[in-house]
Amino acid sequence: MNPDPTMPILASASSLGPKFSLIMPEIVLFVGAVLCAVMGLSRSRTVRTAVPWIAVASLAATFAAMLKVWTPEAAAAAELPMPMLGKYVIALLCVVGVGHVLASAGSVDRSVERQIASGAGAFDPVRVIQGEFYAFLLLSLCGGMLICHATDLVWLFLAFELCSLPTYVLVAIGRGADRSMEAAIKYFFLGAMSTATMLFGFALLYGATGTLELSAMSEAFQLQAQTTGIGSVAIVGVLLAVIGICFKLAAVPMHFYAPDVYEGASSPVAAFISFVPKVQGFVTLVLLLSTVGWGAAGDGSTPPVIAAVLWMIAVLTMTLGNIGALLQRSAKRMLAYSSIANSGYMLVGILAGPKIGVDATFLYLLTYGVANLATFGALAAIERNGHEVDSLDDLAGLRVRAPRVAVALAIGALSLTGIPPILGFWGKLDLFVAAAESQQRALLVIMALNSGVAAFYYLRLVAGPFVQEPTPRTQGVTPVASLWPRVSAVVFAVGCLVLPFAANQLKGESASAAVASGAAKPVLTAEK
Amino acid sequence: MHAALLPILALAAGDGSHAAAGHDAAHAAAPYADVGALQFAKATVDGSYAWLKWMLLAPLVSVVLCGAFAVLKVRNRLPAVFTVVSFATAAALAIALYFQWSPTLFSTHAPLSVPLMEWISFSWGDGPFKSFTANFGLYLDGISLLWILFVTVLATLIALYASEYMESDVKGGYARFFFAVSLFVTSMLILVMSDNLVGLYLGWEGVGLCSYMLIGYYATQPGAVAANKKAFIMNRVGDLGLALAIFLIWTNYGTVEYDGLFQAIAGSGSETVQGHWSKAAIPFLLLLAVCGKSAQGPLFTWLPDAMWGPTPVSALIHAATMVTAGIYLLARMAPFYTVQAIGSEWAETALLTVGWIGCFTAFIGATIACGQFDYKRVFAYSTISSLGYMVMGLGVGTAFGGVYYVFTHAWFKALLFLTAGAVMHGMAGQVDFRKLGGLLRVPGFRLTMVCMLLGCLWLATAPFSAAALSKDIILYQALTSDVDQVRWMGWIGLLTAGITAYYAFRVWFRLALGPVRMEPGPDQHHGHDDHGHDHGGHDAHGHASHAHASHGHDSHGFHPHAPGLRINFVLAVLAIGSILAGLPSYLEKSEGFNWIQRFVQNSSAWIRATAGPEHGQILGRDAHGTLFLLATGVVVVGIALAWLLHAGNRALGDRLRASMLNTPGLKWLAHGSEHGWWVDGIYNAMLGVPAWLAAQLLAFLDRFVLDGVAFAAIGRLPGFVARVFQPLYTGTVQGYALTMAGGIGLIVAWVVWIWLSGGAS
Repeated sequence: MNPDPTMPILASASSLGPKFSLIMPEIVLFVGAVLCAVMGLSRSRTVRTAVPWIAVASLAATFAAMLKVWTPEAAAAAELPMPMLGKYVIALLCVVGVGHVLASAGSVDRSVERQIASGAGAFDPVRVIQGEFYAFLLLSLCGGMLICHATDLVWLFLAFELCSLPTYVLVAIGRGADRSMEAAIKYFFLGAMSTATMLFGFALLYGATGTLELSAMSEAFQLQAQTTGIGSVAIVGVLLAVIGICFKLAAVPMHFYAPDVYEGASSPVAAFISFVPKVQGFVTLVLLLSTVGWGAAGDGSTPPVIAAVLWMIAVLTMTLGNIGALLQRSAKRMLAYSSIANSGYMLVGILAGPKIGVDATFLYLLTYGVANLATFGALAAIERNGHEVDSLDDLAGLRVRAPRVAVALAIGALSLTGIPPILGFWGKLDLFVAAAESQQRALLVIMALNSGVAAFYYLRLVAGPFVQEPTPRTQGVTPVASLWPRVSAVVFAVGCLVLPFAANQLKGESASAAVASGAAKPVLTAEK
Repeated sequence: MHAALLPILALAAGDGSHAAAGHDAAHAAAPYADVGALQFAKATVDGSYAWLKWMLLAPLVSVVLCGAFAVLKVRNRLPAVFTVVSFATAAALAIALYFQWSPTLFSTHAPLSVPLMEWISFSWGDGPFKSFTANFGLYLDGISLLWILFVTVLATLIALYASEYMESDVKGGYARFFFAVSLFVTSMLILVMSDNLVGLYLGWEGVGLCSYMLIGYYATQPGAVAANKKAFIMNRVGDLGLALAIFLIWTNYGTVEYDGLFQAIAGSGSETVQGHWSKAAIPFLLLLAVCGKSAQGPLFTWLPDAMWGPTPVSALIHAATMVTAGIYLLARMAPFYTVQAIGSEWAETALLTVGWIGCFTAFIGATIACGQFDYKRVFAYSTISSLGYMVMGLGVGTAFGGVYYVFTHAWFKALLFLTAGAVMHGMAGQVDFRKLGGLLRVPGFRLTMVCMLLGCLWLATAPFSAAALSKDIILYQALTSDVDQVRWMGWIGLLTAGITAYYAFRVWFRLALGPVRMEPGPDQHHGHDDHGHDHGGHDAHGHASHAHASHGHDSHGFHPHAPGLRINFVLAVLAIGSILAGLPSYLEKSEGFNWIQRFVQNSSAWIRATAGPEHGQILGRDAHGTLFLLATGVVVVGIALAWLLHAGNRALGDRLRASMLNTPGLKWLAHGSEHGWWVDGIYNAMLGVPAWLAAQLLAFLDRFVLDGVAFAAIGRLPGFVARVFQPLYTGTVQGYALTMAGGIGLIVAWVVWIWLSGGAS
């Protein structure tokens, strides 16, 4: 009971207590993941069909645990770099995660279930992989949440990988087709490469500062900035880490994989990997920049080289993404390019800086997540002759074949377009305001032009179902057997319409999430 | 003595005119658009009225419940219960608010502002024009209070009526119907109670959506679908005007919240008198919005087709409440129609445009109503005509007259539509009054026909009726004006009153008197099949039997279905309400003030002297007496003519029409009136045909020029770009890895290059 402040090991050990009390939600979610995996091995079909509901229940429990433990005091005690970030991210991942679980209901073992239903095959526990699927899904969410607790690069990296690795498995097992295997291999190898890049960047950062602690690193950079200037090793380190993260964002130059992988993955998995890795990537990016980039100059501005690279990445990402989407005939490839373009928009918030733009990025993550799930969920909720719907031609006249799904698809697409007053508009508006406020005029114009171009392809998802007449090709388009993908799509589409009424509350939440505790550290900069 | 007959007209405008100071000597000469310095009382923010949110939440709860019933396909009568109870709750709260708060309003003149919830609040810097705020908040002054009172009370009554009227649909769209009606009332209350223009716009679009859903309620009938599309699209034109007006209001005043906006207008008067061109555009754009929502001027043709909706909907939305949203907007935004707000160049033009649009619409609507045989359509055109009167009232400068007529009209027009609905309900959807007759003597329909008589008397503005008291204010203001054009509006308005009296009684005499005649309508529920333009003037079923009163059904064995208790109750209440609507004018004598005028005086609409010169003159005589005689005269002539042609000597009426149709010079008159002066055809020729031609041309260009020539050039560009980058998208892992590594290498090389060239320091 007499902690000696001179002994650093004791000091850091004492900070572990509050830290562990904060990861209660993740522990709950981890238990849920284990439960899913174990239940998935059961010989009883009834138990196995309960697995998605266990996943939903554990997400709900995680949410409840977060509400209980995540108080401002507890977050302050844990000395997190961004105290309320975790609350926002956990809530976001829990709520949207439930949607993802529901959207994938019935899709994992679709062919097996169909065989059983038609009498062609019997229930065979070995062939059914539902348990693993949901366990990995929860583990990935768990990793995404853990990133918010990072105070050093080791934790950051481990949490980052916990979020990434299960997604490769999800892509592989989500569809049960050769194409998904191919997609998973691509995703995994390229992901490994990007991770290596990021890790190399971390190593350079360690070399430049001699510490792995984010706060200590921040102080070291501030000192350097005031004396000799930040060394080139550190800058290259940050850049490599940023580029590694770009893979998760599907941002230039790491975006190449996205169309192939999304097309190969099943629709619900594509929905998942177009959203969760983005949360993962942006949270990591913000943590990294808030200590290394923004902290360094002391006044909250990004070092010019990093800002220039981010600017290039943002512009190229949104432009290439939108141009790529224009010519697609495959809905999933189109949405893959749309996912690339949206990362470009969100980078604008990062560029606008911590006080102005980061909250806009966080808000946009939410609006994108909800609208994206409505859109992808709608695709997951229909099938054509028992196969996933992919071509835009299959959507012609969908209002006749599956009216509710068509409405959800249209609302999701309109929200992604940013039509007021739907949810996506508010996210985009915040980004525009951030760009305007930070005097990024060129970026503002480029983003506005890109949004206009994007309308061209998003509106296909509205025009196809509602303006075109059904064609002979769409004869076989029906809603999938499971009710839940439809429910997920419709609920999130309704969310796109209802959440705008709480736009200001959401904005407040994202703003409080974006507040950094020690980033400013005015003590060091006051005399400058 | 004449002043005693029309006490309202003698009212001195001096009492409590907090919001206007427009009648000092300097402005007395030309008070038309120049109202002197504008002043508005600042709103009192009072959170203790937060219970008012239940006025919005109660119907919203009903929306959710009815929506759940509709989605879950639960078929029973509960949705009607939810709706009626929630509307009654809202009405009770509105009345409670009236008793609790109106004394404060009338004494302090300050509007009430109740913040409820933050919604939109952006800022990108400090100072004016650097922020945009539109929160959920309530702003209540005289006119919003008046509107919520009659909207909630009428909505409750009409929902009760509809619960019986829609009975045959309990197994069908019952829940959907009440879902839309509840959503309508929620939106309407948001429209009138919101404290900013964005909230008003939200409600404006909400009521438009509900109108669309309810017009197309009988979605299996192509006519209903066409009608709801027409209403929706025409309203979009008006809504564009409203959206642009809101944009311009923000760019000129930096706020869309009423309180700040009115202060800004009042404050801007002295410095920036002439204003920017965009300031002058605001009143015209607002007028465009009014034309869409209130079926005015060029955009009126959607309203008659809106009668495809169930009759309670016609009564509630397309007669009593929604269509008056335009009048509300005009009254709320009245400060924009002044020299002080937009400069002397445009203010008078704006105001005169409002007046002429209203006057023109009132006249056209009345003339078309004379040629219709579908009694519901007659009432629809009469609504257009009455709305024209209200718009004209605001245009000639009497917000009081306009708003008072909104109030009286809401009662008697709802009554008229509901009596029409009761007849349709009983006659299996028969809407052609030539196939009905003598209903006054049919058991069960007497109350209906008596109520309809009352409604028709009020529509005809019979002397001493509430409608006459309110309409004469408008005519008085117009006829005693100094402006020649305004006086012309007054004379046309007077003529319109005579025409109105004629067509109102044309319907009633045909339906109520004469031999009993009941040909059942075509359908199971209350849609109608013969809204086409095929009433050729010759009754195809002229040989149909003329059953006699003693039986009450015709030779086909048709048994009319007399209205039940709920319908009769609602009709009786509405009839009493219509009569009582005149009370403010009579009480004024004893209490010294007019109740409606107090509402208007304590609102943003009160920017100018309401009454004209107190001792104005019409035709060189005392204005009050002359107007009374003239107005009574035209009404009596109109009713007498209707009696002659449609009750006393129907053969004469039929012969007259036949001879008109056979006289080449007069043929167009009868046909034109019957077919709405071919306005739809004209629109089709002016807009539809050119649009079709343009579409064909564009399709041709698209196919041959763009696809053929331009595609070869521009269209190949993405393909070219794609081919350049194609090697990068190999689809193999190695290829992607190589490309990504190349990208990383390029970025690092770039950074190092910047570094070496000294750009980073």
